[in-house]
Amino acid sequence: MSRVRWGRWLLALPMAVLALATVYPLVFTANVAMKTRRDYVLDRFSLVDSLRWDNVAAAWNSVGMARYLTNSVVVVTVSVLLLLLFGSMAGFALSQLRFRGSSVLFLCCLAALFVPFQVIMVPLARIMSDAGLVDTYPGLVLAYVAQFLPFTIFLMTSYYRTIPPEIIDAARIDGNDVYGVYRRIMLPLGAPALLSVGILNALFCWNDVLISLLLMPSAEHRTLMVGVTSLRGQYSADIPTFAAGVLIAAVPVLVIYLFLQRQIADGVAAGATKG
Amino acid sequence: MKHRAVWSAVLVAALALAGCGSAGGTRSPSGGADGKLVVWDWKSGEASARAYLEKAKADFARKHPDVTVEFVAQPFEQYYTLLGTAIQAGKGPDVMLFNGGGQIRDRADALLPLDEYLTDDRQRLAGWDAFTKDGKTYAAPVTLQGHPIYYNRALYDKAGLDPASPATTWSKFLADCATITRRTGAKCLALGNKEGYGIQFFLSAFGSGVFSTQEYDDWIAGKRDWTSPHVKRIFALWKEAQDAKLNSDGANSTAMFNDSFAIFQSAKAAHVIGLMSDVGHWKDFSEFLTAEKLGVMRAPVVVPGATPSLPYDGGIGYGVARWTRDPRVAADLVRSLTSTDALKSFYADAGAIAADTTIDVSQGGPAVATIVADLKAGKPALHVALSSKTLELMGRLSQQLLSGSISVDEAVKQLAASDQAG
Amino acid sequence: MPVPEAAPSVRPAPTGRAGGTPPRSVPPAPTVSRRGRGGRRAERLAPFVLLAPALLILALLRFWPLLLGVNFSFTGDGDRDGLMVGLDNYRELLGDPLFRDALGNVGLLVLLLPVAVAIPGLLATLIYLRVPGHRLYRSVYFFPAVLSPVIVGAIFNLLLAFDGPLNALLGGVGIGPVDWLGDPDVAMFVVVGVHVWATFGMALVVFLAGFATLDASLLDAARVDGASLPQTVRHVIVPSLARTIQFVFVTTMIGMLTSMFGLLYVMTSGGPEGSTYLPEYYIWIQQGQMNRPALASAASTVLFLIMLVVGLLQISLLRRAVREA
Repeated sequence: MSRVRWGRWLLALPMAVLALATVYPLVFTANVAMKTRRDYVLDRFSLVDSLRWDNVAAAWNSVGMARYLTNSVVVVTVSVLLLLLFGSMAGFALSQLRFRGSSVLFLCCLAALFVPFQVIMVPLARIMSDAGLVDTYPGLVLAYVAQFLPFTIFLMTSYYRTIPPEIIDAARIDGNDVYGVYRRIMLPLGAPALLSVGILNALFCWNDVLISLLLMPSAEHRTLMVGVTSLRGQYSADIPTFAAGVLIAAVPVLVIYLFLQRQIADGVAAGATKG
Repeated sequence: MKHRAVWSAVLVAALALAGCGSAGGTRSPSGGADGKLVVWDWKSGEASARAYLEKAKADFARKHPDVTVEFVAQPFEQYYTLLGTAIQAGKGPDVMLFNGGGQIRDRADALLPLDEYLTDDRQRLAGWDAFTKDGKTYAAPVTLQGHPIYYNRALYDKAGLDPASPATTWSKFLADCATITRRTGAKCLALGNKEGYGIQFFLSAFGSGVFSTQEYDDWIAGKRDWTSPHVKRIFALWKEAQDAKLNSDGANSTAMFNDSFAIFQSAKAAHVIGLMSDVGHWKDFSEFLTAEKLGVMRAPVVVPGATPSLPYDGGIGYGVARWTRDPRVAADLVRSLTSTDALKSFYADAGAIAADTTIDVSQGGPAVATIVADLKAGKPALHVALSSKTLELMGRLSQQLLSGSISVDEAVKQLAASDQAG
Repeated sequence: MPVPEAAPSVRPAPTGRAGGTPPRSVPPAPTVSRRGRGGRRAERLAPFVLLAPALLILALLRFWPLLLGVNFSFTGDGDRDGLMVGLDNYRELLGDPLFRDALGNVGLLVLLLPVAVAIPGLLATLIYLRVPGHRLYRSVYFFPAVLSPVIVGAIFNLLLAFDGPLNALLGGVGIGPVDWLGDPDVAMFVVVGVHVWATFGMALVVFLAGFATLDASLLDAARVDGASLPQTVRHVIVPSLARTIQFVFVTTMIGMLTSMFGLLYVMTSGGPEGSTYLPEYYIWIQQGQMNRPALASAASTVLFLIMLVVGLLQISLLRRAVREA
């Protein structure tokens, strides 16, 4: 037993080093965000001696970040909820229901995963524009859902396949129809996967610049990351202000992750005891 | 597998259907809603451009009080991709910012020739050539961009050299550099990157000290003789500068060449090939080197008979989309964006050398005064005349030259092939 | 018209046969609901109802534009805009040494893929096994994932600079400075390393979700049998997480092939000497800098086909490996 303990501590050491390495860039970014431009050019690495919020304020005030933040929150929330709903429905159907064409449909979803955004960029912009969806919230939400749905379906299908059919058979015998099984069994059992894929999708949508730039051309409809990215000019002269913008965009995601990953951990524990 | 066959048939049918309608082609106009102009740029988000835009907007509002203008700042790295996509999808802005040279010429068919609207500004503004294609002007210049060689006068003093008379020949330049490195420890040239912009800056900054006047003008006019020994001389010079340890150490191969400015600003190198606008220019440097410590020199003469000149072109300028509803209103906005008053602010706040030559720069210190005085005899930069494709190739070859994995002859041969193909 | 064999029964779909569980006989599920024919019809349609929103969205916003995009790759650029030019773009791609280099780098990435999957997998395992500090690690390993690639690239540019802190550190222990981003033989590995560093937190989240399906009693049994950690990983964890591993393999590959643009742009711009060119970056340059959208479409189509082939190959290989294990 004690040997195992020692082994664990030995493993924990490189993990601690890695933890430092993962925290460092965030600390670096925060540190740079507190610097003046001059200090940054002279020495990028030295720690600031006092917290200077000027850059954060400048980034926040520069191009209406508050507005962008609202846009991002609305679009990301709706997109993620739709992704989880459609993804889990499709994942359930593809993993646990037997019907004609299921393998072909699964392959289709998989193939959609491999479509690089660059190849559909121009046609997509045109389809959206023909449908009058450019510069609208539904348009951007739809584009996000389309972009990240294959990933979501793939993950949910993989996950649901590990659920033993007996559980479902039991629910069926209790008189549930397919939709009842979905609502009462698949959704609760899928919680760890749904939370994880929800976090990842939220992150993807939140950090997206390209799709949002493409489909939300007017300034008032911009999302937060677009606003932050626009702080960089052609020659990225004002790094401290840009760093401050990055900080503004990163903090909400971090807070949400830290909150949700506990839920995942609990879900992991719950799943482990169930199995 | 019957249903598999059905699926294949559906796929084939869909492909055939897609084949009927072309995805290419530019759409009909759709931008420019009533009383509103949309402008795309990558500048309006910057604090130093705020006063400039305020003045331009005010000027335009006086002329067209009923028209609202919306500025949309795009991130630069995505700018041209987005613009291309927007143009193809027919959803572009009315007025847009361009870099001079290849970027605007490549997209000229989406733009409105502005000659008839801008006749009054012809004399006042400089740098038109960079926005001209086949004799038609597609944008009005806002700034001038060029590549002066800046030097640190304090380091010259410290090395016992006369800061008032920098080298005029390559051999003197090499000797001065050796002296500076020996006495101050500073390197001679701050090199931004071994690959990418570095060679472009080098070609343009030192080219006028190699080419004869005739050769230079021919190069700009598109009659480039890649077999000339002088062309080879420039690329050999690039390698020579590295071999003679003139360059600062450890330049990497990124597009971000700002490191070179930091090296220069912190006096770790005595010279840098800088810019005139945006960044890496006299005002940027003045945060660290006071105005009197900053000098600007012309290219040293490498081949006797060459007449060094300041290489510069139109830097950025605003163009008008073909599909805008009322071209005259859009052109008026372009005129407001290049009005003397607005450009004065851009010069003062951002340190850009504005395209308006009537702006008084005497307060800006000796460096900027030298640059503006040199504008008259200045010529278009050599690299701006090359296509994007050739520039990209040149960027890659430049590192191979430094690492010795390619000879100068071979590099020039490849460049010639690329230049003549496109 | 009842079609008996099409009636849905809730049991594993044929494609679901792979994985750790051996085939077993499923007790016949009640295929006829008590509500009679109408109910049966609804039941039969249920899979399609569940799939409808997803399929509709994918068909309209992925496959339709994909077809248009592929079609676009057969048209010309510039003066030949809108004209069908057949395979000209593809011919040009094959003739471009830069694109060939980019494809070569794809091969390198595929070889590096197992490492990129093993790292988060191993870390997730250790976190699951509760090494000291696992709660903290679980939180902070995700941090890099929230930073945009541009800022990650900018930070690493500084850290990896020739006269930067990493080389100073190495110099301290007597190892000469390495030109991390300027040496054609090193740069690609450095960029991939930074990409893995920036994204392993996401794979970690997926792995941790996968552990939710792990049967804890198997682990206990292994522990009772005195199995070492490597043995436990090989015989218990890997087979149980086959699907998760498969998933992470595929998504990591997609991440490497389609979302390294930001890093490449900031860190190397495809250099030195074109050694870090990837198809994705090539597409970007052709589309944005060179104004060659049709050529870019052809390159994206090639990229799509490569990913499809490599991805499906991976899935079938992994499936077979798991079956044999």
